[in-house]
Amino acid sequence: MLGSVAYIVHTLLPVRPNGYWCLAATTLVTVQNLILSLHQFWSKHDCIICQPYDLEKGAGTFNPATFLRALGPEPWRAAYVEPCRRPTDGRYGENPNRLQHYYQYQVVIKPCVDTIQSLYLDSLSTLGIDPRKHDIQFRQDDWESPTLGAWGLGWEVRLDGMEITQFTYFQEAGGHTLDPVTVELTYGTERIAMYLQGVDNVYDLRWSDGVSYGDLFRDSEVQFSQYNFEVANIAMIRTMFDACEAECRTLLEKGLVLPAYDYCMKSSHLFNVLDARGALSVAERTSYIGRVRGLARGCADAYVERRQRLGFPLLAGAGVEPATSAASAKGKPKRFAS
Amino acid sequence: MSSRRPTSVPTTKRDRLPTTSFLLEIGSEELPWQMIHPAMTQLANLMKDFLANHRLAHDRIQTFGTPRRLAVLVQGLASKQTSTLRETLGPSKAVAFDAQGHPTKAAEGFAKSQGVDVGELETRETPKGGYLCAVKRENGLPAATVLTEHLPGLLQRLAFPKTMRWNASGVRYPRPIRWLVALVGAKALSFDFAGVRSGARSWGHRFLADGKSGEASKGIRISRPEIYEATLAGSGVVVDPVWRRDVLAGQLKQLARSVKGRVYQANYEELLDQAVFSLECPNVVCGTFDQAYLSVPQEVLIASMAEHQGFFSVVNRKGELLPRFFAPTNMEVKNMELIRTGNERVLAARLADARYFFDDDRKVKLAGRVSDLNGVVFHKQLGSLYQKTERMVALAGVLADAAGFPDVKESCQRAAHLSKADLVTGMVGEFPALQGVMGEHYAAHDGESVEVCRAIGECYRPRTPDDAIPGTTVGRLLSLTDRLDTLAAFFHAGIVPSGSEDPFGLRRSAFGVIRIVIEAGLNLNIADVLRQAERLVVEQGVKTGGHPFATLRASSGQAQGKLRTGGAGSGPSLQKFLEERLRYYGRVVAVYREDVMDSVLVRADDAACNLRDLFLRMDALQAITSQRDFESLIVGFKRVHRIVEKEAWTDRTVDVALLTHSTELTLQQAVETAGRAVGQALGAHDYHGALSQLIGLKSPIDQFFDGVLVNAPEPDVRANRLSLLRRVDDLFSAFGDLSQIQVQGQ
Repeated sequence: MLGSVAYIVHTLLPVRPNGYWCLAATTLVTVQNLILSLHQFWSKHDCIICQPYDLEKGAGTFNPATFLRALGPEPWRAAYVEPCRRPTDGRYGENPNRLQHYYQYQVVIKPCVDTIQSLYLDSLSTLGIDPRKHDIQFRQDDWESPTLGAWGLGWEVRLDGMEITQFTYFQEAGGHTLDPVTVELTYGTERIAMYLQGVDNVYDLRWSDGVSYGDLFRDSEVQFSQYNFEVANIAMIRTMFDACEAECRTLLEKGLVLPAYDYCMKSSHLFNVLDARGALSVAERTSYIGRVRGLARGCADAYVERRQRLGFPLLAGAGVEPATSAASAKGKPKRFAS
Repeated sequence: MSSRRPTSVPTTKRDRLPTTSFLLEIGSEELPWQMIHPAMTQLANLMKDFLANHRLAHDRIQTFGTPRRLAVLVQGLASKQTSTLRETLGPSKAVAFDAQGHPTKAAEGFAKSQGVDVGELETRETPKGGYLCAVKRENGLPAATVLTEHLPGLLQRLAFPKTMRWNASGVRYPRPIRWLVALVGAKALSFDFAGVRSGARSWGHRFLADGKSGEASKGIRISRPEIYEATLAGSGVVVDPVWRRDVLAGQLKQLARSVKGRVYQANYEELLDQAVFSLECPNVVCGTFDQAYLSVPQEVLIASMAEHQGFFSVVNRKGELLPRFFAPTNMEVKNMELIRTGNERVLAARLADARYFFDDDRKVKLAGRVSDLNGVVFHKQLGSLYQKTERMVALAGVLADAAGFPDVKESCQRAAHLSKADLVTGMVGEFPALQGVMGEHYAAHDGESVEVCRAIGECYRPRTPDDAIPGTTVGRLLSLTDRLDTLAAFFHAGIVPSGSEDPFGLRRSAFGVIRIVIEAGLNLNIADVLRQAERLVVEQGVKTGGHPFATLRASSGQAQGKLRTGGAGSGPSLQKFLEERLRYYGRVVAVYREDVMDSVLVRADDAACNLRDLFLRMDALQAITSQRDFESLIVGFKRVHRIVEKEAWTDRTVDVALLTHSTELTLQQAVETAGRAVGQALGAHDYHGALSQLIGLKSPIDQFFDGVLVNAPEPDVRANRLSLLRRVDDLFSAFGDLSQIQVQGQ
């Protein structure tokens, strides 16, 4: 059973010669088991388990399952792993805490449920983090994405001082005021796994029994760092950006909002590469961000319009009881009493 | 006239009503810590106004606040509203009654609108004549009824700098509201707000309350308002921030003592506030970090701990940083090891980053980074930081000469050249507050002179009104150079503070200038330095802006961008701005009388303004105001001054032969003696000495007025006496405009 695999017992061992006390666990939660546990948890709480979107993106928020689904009145509950690329964060595989490619675990729920914070804490418990033994704090962190024209309020969740999750109530996306409000949880899977496994270097993480994160991804970090910082063909990428931008606009005119949004995502990533490559002056950078935001806004407008034409199909199923935690289930009125 | 605004007269006495107590708690998800204290103040004020407006007498109003709750407790609350007679004026008698004295439609309409019979209407005489008046007795409603009805309105009025929506209620609050407690005595009030129904149920600490996390627990019932604090304390929450602060401060002190050190934190109060308002259950754990990190400058380690993690640092008795930290936590469990080690690991990663920046930054010399400043915008109208650096180098030279330190001119210019280079290092990018501090470390690493290094480190001092000014001459001159350049540049571009708007902190910059000049005792002609500073800005092609002084100058025939000399630069406005800051310093720091400052500042010489000298004059004048003879001296002087201002005659040298009366001669001799002494004292900037000479003129002046008539019938004698008084007036005016001094009883 996944639940039992994920269950770990904390013990304290003086494992390091310098006298540091370090957390160790008798059973390590591998990265893949951590993901599986979260899948199981959120699937139990009525989330669709989506698959990653097949384009480069800087954050799980860019996935249409968040950015587009957050728009309009239709309810939506989804959870998924999202591979994210942040070219500027590359460190040639040498920094123990920074990666240009990593995995976010993303949960989006619309409308947000009243018990979302305790649901989230329950999810940590299933990973083996007992909130009664740790110091878990919700520290203010207001989120804003200039490229998506989006912002929200929320927290970074800290586990014994370490940021493990971004927790955001979206207020606006693509320039649209969001009603109902979507809540987004973004778990830092590597961070949490490092904590649970008691390792200080991301490359030492165990992805599965016997295979480390370094085995799988270190060379990718080296190669992509080199590519993003030194090799990327600036002229070609600028041309590609222009082409993607033009294609997005053309597709929007034809009402093909989903393909258009693909090109918006592509242009965003191309901008990130240009930025990492040091190809943009301050003024140019601002102008590129503005161009991507323009595309995102166009896609948001077109998406809402199209869903409306389709009659907001997911509203039809909205009568489904939004199952949450035990407390609200208990509080359900008995329809046939007396 | 506002005839329909009712006036109320209480008819019941408060002490006849039984009292109760009231509690309102707004439970929410974690609020941003900075918002909690202002919200508590706001809640107290709203509650006070609310109770006054609703005629509910009360005693103490107390507020509480944690990240998950804002609460207000009212003690000695009247259980019923005070009853009142409510009077509302209606139409005038002329309109209300017809010729036969019968009520008109207007009167009937008014009565109907007030819900009384026409016959019951009374009349009131007002300055505008007689008016109808409806008098209604309003009996007090129970406090619980009033509160239940109007609390949602009160909650709606709570305002925050940044709010959000989360459910269909559309209510805005910094984070979602999850519960509401409203109690009058033991009675729970039930109203709906933000999709929540109020009651008596609250929630304790998220994890310490009852062993179950969050919603799985049933919460806690508050049975009476008075035991709110105690009930929550039993559930792991200290609702009173003052108590939390005491707990944290006490623990920090004790932990520091246990490692033979003391807490060392420049922004201690702010960091403590952050902890107080981020925690419900205040607790501190002490952790350690690897000694090896102590090779990184301690400012960096402290910044890394405080800014990223909110940790406090600790130093030993010699002031050396210890490899320890104090982390505020929201948990108190038997075994704090998990929490301690977790925090240690996070900090280790942070410190590794900091060390990386420190090592990496030192691979390039500061001097080699100066040209990178081309890529950093200072302000879009004012060019890059490189341009600012160029101006600063030139201005530093001017300033060193003007302040009389030509021997350190070279060091000043070198320090100015390097002063901004640390802004393009990785470390300052990560910790902007370390600007200057890192420059000093990197300059030392590059082998710059001690003088230059110290100055770079002191460039931004004083950072706050309480911070000390730079300790070295070069540091003081560099800090002045930076500030004066900034001021001259912004003023030249027409970007000047107005009202409460001062986005570039120019008032703070100018205040720093005043403090350095006065506290370091620098003598310099600030007017001349400002002219030079603006010249440097102009030479770089910065366009002049549209503030009033610039317009005046432009219209007086000066072409834009043309080199300005001879006092036509930004002098008048910026100089007045500095004088205003000098006045502020006098008011706030030195606590001088306004009229004392007026006396000195009104006549300040624009062309050769010496800020320190102005200050010394104020200081001497303020000191002498407490002398017994001062007031009568001023009375006498003002009489002299008025006469000299008013009368017309041809001024001439005083002719001793025409001085017939002994008091005339005495005054003449006194003026002559004092004149020489005052001249000498002023020349030596001995303003106390100069003023005590003037005090000596009190009796001669008084006796003069007692003894002779100024406006003597003989024109010669009159002119001679007026000329003598002119000498007296000149003598006083040499110090300042003493006619500004206010004398008691005048």
